[in-house]
Amino acid sequence: MNAVARPPVPGSMSNAAYEQRLRDAVMDAAALLNARLLPVSVRSAALNRALAAGLPQLRDDLWRYADLRFLASAALAPVAPDAPGLLSAAIDPLLPPRLSGFTRLVFANGRLYEPGSDASDALDLALPPLVPERTRHERFGWLNDAFATGVARLKVNAPMRVEVVFAATPGAVRQAVYPRLEVQLSPDTQLVLVERHVGTTGSEGTINAAVQVFAGAGSQVNHLRWQALDADAQLLDTVQLAMDRDARYELVQLQLGARSARTSLRASLFGAGAAFSLHGVALAQGRRTLDHSLLVDHLASRTQSTQVLRAIAGDHAHIACRSRVEIGQAAPGSLSAQSLKGLLGNAGAEIDLRPQLEIHTDDVKASHGATTGALEENMRFYLLSRGVDAATARALLEWAFLEDALAGVAPPELRAAAENAAASALGSDVARQLVVPA
Amino acid sequence: MSTPILSIQDLHVKVGEREVLRGINLELPAGQVHAIMGPNGSGKSSLSHVLAGKPGYTVTRGSVNYKGTDLLALPAEERARAGLFLGFQYPVEIPGVNNAYLLRAALNAGRRQRSEPEIDAFDFLTLVKERMALMKMDESFLSRGVNEGFSGGEKKRNEILQMLVLQPQLAVLDETDSGLDIDALKVVATGINSLRSPERAILLVTHYQRLLDHVTPDAVHVLAGGRIVKSGGAELARELEQRGYDWLLEAA
Repeated sequence: MNAVARPPVPGSMSNAAYEQRLRDAVMDAAALLNARLLPVSVRSAALNRALAAGLPQLRDDLWRYADLRFLASAALAPVAPDAPGLLSAAIDPLLPPRLSGFTRLVFANGRLYEPGSDASDALDLALPPLVPERTRHERFGWLNDAFATGVARLKVNAPMRVEVVFAATPGAVRQAVYPRLEVQLSPDTQLVLVERHVGTTGSEGTINAAVQVFAGAGSQVNHLRWQALDADAQLLDTVQLAMDRDARYELVQLQLGARSARTSLRASLFGAGAAFSLHGVALAQGRRTLDHSLLVDHLASRTQSTQVLRAIAGDHAHIACRSRVEIGQAAPGSLSAQSLKGLLGNAGAEIDLRPQLEIHTDDVKASHGATTGALEENMRFYLLSRGVDAATARALLEWAFLEDALAGVAPPELRAAAENAAASALGSDVARQLVVPA
Repeated sequence: MSTPILSIQDLHVKVGEREVLRGINLELPAGQVHAIMGPNGSGKSSLSHVLAGKPGYTVTRGSVNYKGTDLLALPAEERARAGLFLGFQYPVEIPGVNNAYLLRAALNAGRRQRSEPEIDAFDFLTLVKERMALMKMDESFLSRGVNEGFSGGEKKRNEILQMLVLQPQLAVLDETDSGLDIDALKVVATGINSLRSPERAILLVTHYQRLLDHVTPDAVHVLAGGRIVKSGGAELARELEQRGYDWLLEAA
């Protein structure tokens, strides 16, 4: 690991300049900030918090490896939607085939896109908005609260399968897009959620996504987040999950695209017996930077969290993951396990994995580990000694490495979807052949 | 005697600065099984690794001729495709890559080399299941990760299964008998014996004589200090079992 901290934003960008850019963005977008989606009081409070927080400082451990240089020049304001014909011509080709049995919701440049979306009784803008408490860890989530131009607000009262596609295109005018998903699960219900990020707003735009899910007591969520943005996309991504008593939340997160992507994720296990698992895969080539900051808060007794993250970086790419687990005083009998592993394709790539664990109570089982290295030579030789060529051996071993994070994913169709996505991103036929069918 | 499948001449090998093989000479004719025996640290595993092309070994002198070609000039994967098989002393676990996939990839790599078409899925399964029955392995094994969670005995059986599917012309089995109980030893021996044929040759690298009770070698070579210090027939193995290696080391 060559851990050289670099400034998230170049020195030319001062907090004052950032503040001015935000104020300008509000002026530019004022007419678009619909109070029906989020009340003005929420928007202005969030903007004030964002202004007060400013940019991350150079030594801020929460932001150390995020590449935010684009904030100095890329658009921060949402713009009026393109004409319908123009928009659909750009968006429709981006939409992946439908998942059968799923209700589909499509966002085009931050707004719900009706031509691609299904009607659903679960969608209801009259519901109280889900605006979680955010901190500096989630500082760009405040921008979403302030600038959201489209919201999918879902109340899940009965078992449901939902596919949300966040699609983005550069559009006629350079722009920031602010897609937003809010989900509330009633007690004892189930949700299978597939969330996909496709397209790009280009190097002059930003994508700022916010996802918040409240899982009621005894509910179960199987959530696949699948970021497959184009290679020039710039993503700020804020995810906040809250779990009531005995809720089970299984999150699969694939970071497979973008130029720069930063995910700030918080899982709050506030109900006794709540369980959270993360199966994470991050792949980066070229000059891609993928930064993850994960916070898992154990706030009640007998809560459980497991995290398995596998990252592969090649070329001059950089992957970082800071994963902090806090087990509070009110969380005796809790379990936590973290396994973060990185695989470096060559000397120019960088992976920084930082598991952190803080325990404030007794009777806790917690483990954490992080390793980064090259392909294991013994495994490679074993395959070569069977006549497998070097390129295939590498593909097999990279697949085996990632598969460690995906093997336990349920239900089977989610696992197959995640494995297919990872295999495609690896770009190897070998991996595609190894995907276990649903 | 026909042309040997394997001919090793004055082979010197270093690992780093340490010389691990110091002038090996060996002729292995088609149709024969030779055993390489010797105490720990004598260079047995080094010899197996060098033949299979494992990185980290530097040949400083000598030659290895395999079926008329310079074996040392080939990378590991080409040696395998040319019909050389190494049975590992410590087979590697590769979770995420299933046994069926690896077997088929390995089989097809060899077939492509020989300009044969790839095996179809049905023929492949028929072949593998037949060999698995011989090795007394459960069919569920095929969908498991390569050696993942296998016991020591299962790993060794898997090595022999791979060998039986690939049908190599030269099999080098590195301490395949270590860690096996008597039943597993018999199964493994049955597998090895089933491969014996006039076209093939087998090099059995072993510390103990007990595998040789079940697979009778045509010749036994004792390796010590990186050299072959004595060669003989099957009876030499029994003598070693009774007398140990010390008398040879003193003589050498």
